Amino acid sequence: MFSEQAAPTAQGLLAPPSAEPSTFARAPVSTYTDCTEPFRLGQRSFSRQYAHIYATRLIQMRPLLEERAQHKWGSGIAMRKLCELQAGEKCCVVGTLFKSMQLQPSILREISEEHNLLPQPPRTKYIHQSDELILEDELQRIKLEGTIDVQKLVTGTILAIYGSEKDNGKFLVEDHCFADLPRQLPMRGPSTNHFVLLVSGLGLGSGSGESLLSMQLLVDVVTGQLGAEGEQSSAAQITRVILAGNLLSQSTQSRDTINKAKYLTKKTQAASVEAVKMLDEILLQLCTSVPVDVMPGEFDPTNYTLPQQPLHRCMLPLASTYSTLQLVTNPYQAEIDGVRFLGTSGQNISDIFKYSSMDDYMEILEWTLCVGHISPTAPDTLGCFPFYKSDPFIFTDCPHVYFCGNAPLFSSKLLKGRDGQQVLLVTVPDFSATQTACLINLCDLSCQPVSFSGFSADEDEGDMEIGH
Amino acid sequence: MQCFLCVFILQVTYKWLSYTLGVHVNQAKQMLYDYVERKRKESSGAQLHVTYLVAGNLVQNGYICHKVAVVREDKLEAMKSKLATIASVHVYSIQKALLKDSGPLYNTDYDIIKTNLQNCSKFSAIHCAAAVPRTLAEVSQAHTSAQIDSQTPNDMQVSTASSKPPAKGNTMSNFFGKAAMNKLKASSESEQAKEEREVTKPSVPAAEPKLLPTTTVEKPGKKTEPVKIQKKDRKSRAKRVDLSDNEEEKEAENLKKKRRRIKQPQSDSSDNEADGPASSISQEDRAPTPSPEPPPKAGLEPASTEVKASTGGKKRKRRRVLKSKTSLDDEGCMVTEKVFESESCTDSEEEFTKAKPASLHRQSTAPVKKDPKEDRRGPKKGAATASKANKQVSIMGFFQKK
Repeated sequence: MFSEQAAPTAQGLLAPPSAEPSTFARAPVSTYTDCTEPFRLGQRSFSRQYAHIYATRLIQMRPLLEERAQHKWGSGIAMRKLCELQAGEKCCVVGTLFKSMQLQPSILREISEEHNLLPQPPRTKYIHQSDELILEDELQRIKLEGTIDVQKLVTGTILAIYGSEKDNGKFLVEDHCFADLPRQLPMRGPSTNHFVLLVSGLGLGSGSGESLLSMQLLVDVVTGQLGAEGEQSSAAQITRVILAGNLLSQSTQSRDTINKAKYLTKKTQAASVEAVKMLDEILLQLCTSVPVDVMPGEFDPTNYTLPQQPLHRCMLPLASTYSTLQLVTNPYQAEIDGVRFLGTSGQNISDIFKYSSMDDYMEILEWTLCVGHISPTAPDTLGCFPFYKSDPFIFTDCPHVYFCGNAPLFSSKLLKGRDGQQVLLVTVPDFSATQTACLINLCDLSCQPVSFSGFSADEDEGDMEIGH
Repeated sequence: MQCFLCVFILQVTYKWLSYTLGVHVNQAKQMLYDYVERKRKESSGAQLHVTYLVAGNLVQNGYICHKVAVVREDKLEAMKSKLATIASVHVYSIQKALLKDSGPLYNTDYDIIKTNLQNCSKFSAIHCAAAVPRTLAEVSQAHTSAQIDSQTPNDMQVSTASSKPPAKGNTMSNFFGKAAMNKLKASSESEQAKEEREVTKPSVPAAEPKLLPTTTVEKPGKKTEPVKIQKKDRKSRAKRVDLSDNEEEKEAENLKKKRRRIKQPQSDSSDNEADGPASSISQEDRAPTPSPEPPPKAGLEPASTEVKASTGGKKRKRRRVLKSKTSLDDEGCMVTEKVFESESCTDSEEEFTKAKPASLHRQSTAPVKKDPKEDRRGPKKGAATASKANKQVSIMGFFQKK
């Protein structure tokens, strides 16, 4: 995208100074609607139990699933609740999945004295051969067996199963189905090339300066300082930058004050203070040139439970004087130039990664869209606010761009739904590790990775090996 | 250009040049290129090392990736051949020494950006119409509630400072009868330990002092009743000399540290009624507020309740800890004071309070002049003071220790 437009004038700046350097105006955003209202929490009361969120999730998704089930297995099938099951009768049941995992960290087991257990060390995956699936509805639960992939599914998924109850009290599954993609509103995208840049995992405050030059190059490309004229004019078409979480590095989270003696930590500043100052400067440079949406991530100074609330503007005194800076929630939903964006900073996907056999972030991202829920594992293994009126993580309509941040690799896919929906799925890689960002063209829903690099002493041999 | 390179031995990046000369970034890049060409043609002794920026399309992991890279001159052709389409090539920087690593480039850019933060997009090739800094008026409008909260503690501070002189110069204390004093003594002894003078800084930069005033004012809110008695008691107990001494030393302290007492809000309620004329006594009022009459109590009360409400949300707990502070005063004497320090549980030393006994035992060692700190002859007295500070001092002690 960028390169083709820019190629003709690529070498233009290898010349003596010209009289009139050209300046390009930033392509304005024609429409922007912030749809994060369901994710913003006003009064937060944690005195409720988490059972309500499961109850409301089931109530909201049941009609959808019943419709899908009838569509898939015929409208004549019997829809039963668990309490109405009769042995041997083929029927369809809708309920919430629960996966009982042996290796799942349990706080009760850890602190229990009779077991005398040491806390389990963190693992990358907690799946085990002996895991079992159990279906729960409003009143009862039943164990599942049969043609259902135990390793792949995770707790909290709402699904419809088709089969019959056996004499041993277990349900033999013959088939199952999910909510599938919801309806999608038509996309009224821009007619000319407008780009949105997605970056995540800036990782400031990590103490290692490897990605700092790449970050500066990124800012310079977006603000139009870097590149020849062709590239600058292409960069002027970037209408928005979305920072998808983990602006601070994990190392800023060290909590010395808890572990060390007070006399050692008395006058030390938290590592995140310096990192936030650096973030403020970077955001200031970006905000003077392009609208920026800042989403918090796992290591950022905001609340831990989903939905994460926006960072407070007092932390960014320099940048927050500009109206182009928008501090938004995680998950983030917005309509930019007629294209609906929905995305998270990656905690939902990485949590499913831990408790499922799926390895590819893109696969998991697609799976959450098919299941109809942004993060089914919340609140079981992922912290979540105890909602009771409605579950805001259920997809109400299908977005045009669905992304997740802090993935290990970049990948993008255009998913076509059964009813003609078209979704661009993007996994945004961690910038501090990969120095790669994503550029999305709103006109045709295409995505291109953009990577930045400097040079270092040990690159001499490496260059030769990256062959053609 | 030449002088830049001669003077700045390290390097010149296009961005640095652009900010320093006030030119468009593209012009800066062209200037660098031009310079390199001319220098090379002259083939003078000094060798220049150049880094270039190359951008273009590259196939990576099955995707067409747009790559932007800073490369050394010797790797330029290799990088260009790797790219399928070249989007741009220009000079990034010139330096005298060969760079092993692109770290210094970042440092140069970082420094120049830091000094030009407010207009960092001035010389760039893209101008955004929407990026307009909000005016102060808009910003303050958006946060009126926060401002109201900060206003009231400031008012409190002002009122307390101004009411401090009247409290100190009060001679009404001598008029209390013995019987009344005995009654007050009981309550005063209980208050003795809790009594504290909280000192806060008058100059208030944004957020931080909001916490200070809220906590200090919180105490007056709580202790309006017993404090009234306490204040009178203090007046009665303290001799005129001591009072004036206290006043001097407090004010001297003020001069030195520019701090204000907030003890006064507690006594404000009583002072306002009884001590109007007393306010004229203090001559050396160095508190920033000139008005001797403290603002009305009415202003205080709603403020304190409001602040109380707001401090309900404050999580910090304050404890008073007796600590010993050693310092060197003007004359080179080591001065040790025992002070009650109010600190939060996370040990941040934001305020400190002077214990009443500490000031009382000043004695006549130092003449009544503007000493920055109390003088004590050695640690012995300090120890004596310390032990005395822990015990409840009897009121009658003053009348005996002439």
